[in-house]
Amino acid sequence: MIFDIKEENGGMVACIHGRLDTPASVKAQQEIVPLLENADKEILLNCSELEYISSSGLRLFLTIRKETAAKGGKVIIENVSDDIKKVFMMTGFFNLFEIR
Amino acid sequence: MDNYGLDLHCEMLLEEYRHQLPLYERLQELVMQTIRDQVSQTDISVNSMESRIKEEKSFVGKLKRKGYKYSELSDITDILGVRVITFYNEEVDRIASLAESVFDIDWQNSEDKRLKHEFHSFGYNSLHYICRLREPVPAELKNFRFELQIRTALQHVWSAIQHDIGYKTELEIPIEHHRSLSRLAGLLELADNEFSRIRNAIAEYRHRINSLVQNGQFNEVVLDKESFRSYLSRRPYDKLNRKIAAITQAEVHTASLLPFVNVLKHQGLKTLGDVELMLKENVDDAYQLALYQLGTTDIDILSETIGLQNLCIVYILKNGGGKPGLIQMFEELNGPSPYNETLASIVLEQAQRLKFMNQ
Repeated sequence: MIFDIKEENGGMVACIHGRLDTPASVKAQQEIVPLLENADKEILLNCSELEYISSSGLRLFLTIRKETAAKGGKVIIENVSDDIKKVFMMTGFFNLFEIR
Repeated sequence: MDNYGLDLHCEMLLEEYRHQLPLYERLQELVMQTIRDQVSQTDISVNSMESRIKEEKSFVGKLKRKGYKYSELSDITDILGVRVITFYNEEVDRIASLAESVFDIDWQNSEDKRLKHEFHSFGYNSLHYICRLREPVPAELKNFRFELQIRTALQHVWSAIQHDIGYKTELEIPIEHHRSLSRLAGLLELADNEFSRIRNAIAEYRHRINSLVQNGQFNEVVLDKESFRSYLSRRPYDKLNRKIAAITQAEVHTASLLPFVNVLKHQGLKTLGDVELMLKENVDDAYQLALYQLGTTDIDILSETIGLQNLCIVYILKNGGGKPGLIQMFEELNGPSPYNETLASIVLEQAQRLKFMNQ
């Protein structure tokens, strides 16, 4: 399991584990369904155990963001490593998410 | 049934009123639907639309006051009352024109209260149309009329408060209270006119800015959110974005570039001419930065902000902004966060390896 999802304080918390490369992202598309179904809430993506993110992983994040924007929720990303921060910065996506 | 003590004629009118209530309900549905449909086809932003069928108590009150004036029920034109409340004076007239296009107006009984005042008096302002449904009309509603009141939100406030405080009671009200209400009506009329004037001035400003931008007269346009929006409609960063995207054959994800207006202003850019010059003078270095960042990756999705973001980074660094300048940029875009300093360090480290930082 890449996305370990639980409900917490009225919102959703997802701990993301390992490498979010293309095969993992394909697999995770099913795993994020509970997040999309709760996109009217605050969704916290805890990246403390996320080692790598590919373009497919970014697309997953963007899917969650799009759904929350449509349903009135919010995505917060926390505990991001410097390497992953670099990816957000050089793709221009850093200001689409609240990153803590 | 209540005994209201009406004379025989008024009793007959009351009986007919009760009998025809279901027809008035049908009329109410049709009228409201017609108005809603028509308004939805325009850009008029209506504050509210409401309708009511006169309640029996109020109807009886009317009969008691002036039932002798009505020979039959259809002479009473306000059993169904519809009100459209707009934000601006001009939209009262637009709704009126819209009503004229879909209803038959009984001009003899319609009244523009706005024109009733002497030049030195102020008070109730509203446009009252007495209308009929236009053919084809369900046979049972053929002779039915209704009253359509159109007014601005401020006119409505004045009228509603005046009504609430019992201005229309038969009680003798001292002249100073009449004067106070008139004064308020004058004040609200002035406010209505001011709102219209401001709206028109803003629309004119937008048109002028758009026209200057579309003609490429960038030096004459002050940089602000509105002018930058107009500038962005020319898609000035698409070429750079396409070039950057080609590095990894990336798709470009749509995003708003408007938040960057604050970054540009903070960098001292005053006009769209400055923004255009910044693009021309830094486009190659912005591309080199992207090439350095993305060249060794397989990232194939980028935000539409990427070109402008890199232009800003290059501009800040070339103009001596250094790391504090980059942190400031990230703060303008993200809000304050410790994360901004990390981003600034990463960018600075990358940029230091590029030609534009070493000239």
